[in-house]
Amino acid sequence: MTRPGFVLTVDERTPPLLLHSGESFRLQQFPLGTRVIYPAESLPGLPDVDQAIDQALLHPIDSDPLPALLRAGMKLTIAFDDLSLPLPQMRKPDVRQRILERVLQYAADAGVDDVELIVATALHRRMTADEVKSIVGERVFRSFWPDQLYNFDAEDRVNLAHLGKTDRDEDVEISKRAAESDLLVYVNVNLVAMDGGWKSTAIGLASYNSLRHHHNAHTMIHSRSFMDPHKSELHSSAWRMGRVLSEHVKVFQIETTLNNDAFPSQYGFLTKREWEWSLRDQAMFLGTKRGLDVMPAKSRRKLFQQMEAPYGITGVTAGAVEPVHEKTLERVHQQQLVEVNGQTDVLVMGLPYLCPYNVNSVMNPILAACLGLGYLFNMYRGKPLVREGGVLILHHPVPWEFSTLHHPSYVDFFDEVLAESTDPKVIGPKFEQQYASDPWYTHLYRTSHAYHGVHPFYMWYWCAHALDHLGQVIWVGGDRRAVARMGMRSASTFADALELARDTVGSSPSITYQHAPPHILSVVR
Amino acid sequence: MSRVTQRRPGLVADLTVMSRGWRWTRRSLPPRSAEPHHTFPEPREFPTEWARSRPARVVREVALRGGLAPLVRRETTVEVDGLDIFDDLEGPVILVANHTSHLDTALLLTTLPVKWQRKVTVGAAADYFFDAWWRAIGSALLFATFPIERHGTGLSDTPATLIEQGWSIVMFPEGTRSPDGWTRRFRPGAAALARTHGIPIVPVAIAGSYAAMPRGRNWPKPGRPPVHVRYGRPVRPLPEENTLALNGRVSDALAALLDEDTTDWYAAARRAASEETPTSAGPEVANWRRVWASTAGPAVRGAKARAWR
Repeated sequence: MTRPGFVLTVDERTPPLLLHSGESFRLQQFPLGTRVIYPAESLPGLPDVDQAIDQALLHPIDSDPLPALLRAGMKLTIAFDDLSLPLPQMRKPDVRQRILERVLQYAADAGVDDVELIVATALHRRMTADEVKSIVGERVFRSFWPDQLYNFDAEDRVNLAHLGKTDRDEDVEISKRAAESDLLVYVNVNLVAMDGGWKSTAIGLASYNSLRHHHNAHTMIHSRSFMDPHKSELHSSAWRMGRVLSEHVKVFQIETTLNNDAFPSQYGFLTKREWEWSLRDQAMFLGTKRGLDVMPAKSRRKLFQQMEAPYGITGVTAGAVEPVHEKTLERVHQQQLVEVNGQTDVLVMGLPYLCPYNVNSVMNPILAACLGLGYLFNMYRGKPLVREGGVLILHHPVPWEFSTLHHPSYVDFFDEVLAESTDPKVIGPKFEQQYASDPWYTHLYRTSHAYHGVHPFYMWYWCAHALDHLGQVIWVGGDRRAVARMGMRSASTFADALELARDTVGSSPSITYQHAPPHILSVVR
Repeated sequence: MSRVTQRRPGLVADLTVMSRGWRWTRRSLPPRSAEPHHTFPEPREFPTEWARSRPARVVREVALRGGLAPLVRRETTVEVDGLDIFDDLEGPVILVANHTSHLDTALLLTTLPVKWQRKVTVGAAADYFFDAWWRAIGSALLFATFPIERHGTGLSDTPATLIEQGWSIVMFPEGTRSPDGWTRRFRPGAAALARTHGIPIVPVAIAGSYAAMPRGRNWPKPGRPPVHVRYGRPVRPLPEENTLALNGRVSDALAALLDEDTTDWYAAARRAASEETPTSAGPEVANWRRVWASTAGPAVRGAKARAWR
């Protein structure tokens, strides 16, 4: 039976607890009385995923079955999530491959010739051929790459279509091919509650002209949180855009949900509750940690990036976007919700090696901040876990290291923009346009594998709600220069961090440790 | 400004943190707030036949007589009564004792007559003594234990098989060590076995082991605290008697033995006859008073008055 998530109170029996810290992890003894939020154990995966896919395609919600929507001579576009989902990458075959193969089989049976597959990258980097192949599988790749299977290009003005404006004057501009298709099928992997719904098409296939309406500091501060779509300004905007989109093209949404099996079985100790660690788990922890400590950085990164999660699929739902997404949210909540009584003065997190934007790449300081202050801070419904004016303590080495291949504009953003101001409300109006329209960044985005020039701004905007809400952010074990550049404080040890926190929350604060990954969505009462 | 160069803890530091955190020298416990969410490991069959083979018995006898018995006598002041009951008794039997300390098994095995000690085996909690291979091997070899599933339903086949093979069995029918030194409700497993196989139950009262080495200690207190082991007359199943009735008689017999330990045989017998034997479950008073009374331990009999004060 799957045990639900719960809140532990640290007592003298509690062993040291595992904390992720970039490409390593550590054991940390917490003060007595600290609350620790543990994720639920993995829900069982579907025993027959292919059957579940067929069931979803043939019995969709608020839509005709997929075969009834397909006919010879039609224009069919299939879009799907890029490599930023799921994290870590899932063990092959990827569920997107399984779904794409079934959808294409139905299209072939119906005699559809005009089929194109688009990786919904928005302003993310173009995926390499190998990365695309790893998602879609050999058959699909061989049949469609590169002319009918390609990365979305948000700067290809000729192939964008402006569909109009929402009632809030927001531009809706997406892939022309998708907008002009007779049917747009979207294949989604829903890792957290933020993903899916109209965010898939109205954001994944959109240009900067469209994205700028919700990817800004104002929207982020008023998305409380963007992991709770019903209370997220970001999602409200995407939903408005989606409704404009639906006036032009029929969208058949296919969403999948995953369980909490985020690490391979040999790293089982990463998801086990510490007091249940066997001697074998303890030995594995020690061996892995010591091995990582002596391993060259390059090999260590390779080891982590090659890790594939044995995720189980907990559900496949297809049909009209909004009812499908409600069903998806139910499943995500079933796996990830944990009830927590009251906020805390100090919230502690250990940041792992991976966020959506450094797959096969380096987690630079901006991405580390985005992971902690953007994603994990926002993993709540109701109220943030930490009280307003409280302290967030993050464990991560925050290396001053950037991938010039993937994140060229991040280097300049870090050196120039953050050196002038770290306030998202200030840097947006002053610098965003310049980075968004820089021809060199645009060239690298379109022809190489670089994130769009404006992307680091978006990462910093993700942090806006946390920066607005918190009294202090302290990084344990972080590069002091990098942390100072982001306007935050660093501490050598957790004890030092608590000492620094005294200035903000007094000498006996309540402390809560969010024991993730796997993901936890806290319902704070 | 310089970069942080955080010193990575060495292997020894890591080992120290882990050995303390997971209580390597003791059993690890779930945090209190995690107890409702704790699940016991799935029962696993751990073979123990090898521990009853001739070579293992030889090793055990050497370890018990040459190691454990002298150690117990060095660390505690042991007094044994009632061994004469074994003079005209034929095995197999079920030895049923109250349970307050890890000392209890050692006290039983080192005070039994050698002939009986060679052919006795001890029922031990599967989730406690057989949760790790090294602990299972150690306890099976030294104490001749076999696993009993205390959280499962139904009775394991192992005790029945052992009785059929002529082995006597030590059982602690309370299922776990007493948290306050007083006896808890007896589970009927031992009585059911005795009834099924028509063999006697020998009640054994152990007094003072809670005071000497209660829960949480892994070595007796200093000062050779007194412990008494008292073997009682066998309780034989009667025709037409059900398991619960037999279980009640065993429980009463053990209570009378504990009473005898604080008074004398005749006084205890008279109280038993008039159904006035004090309950072995202890007085219904505040928990601290129950613990307080148990930690006093029995008196050292025959202690001479001090010549010099």
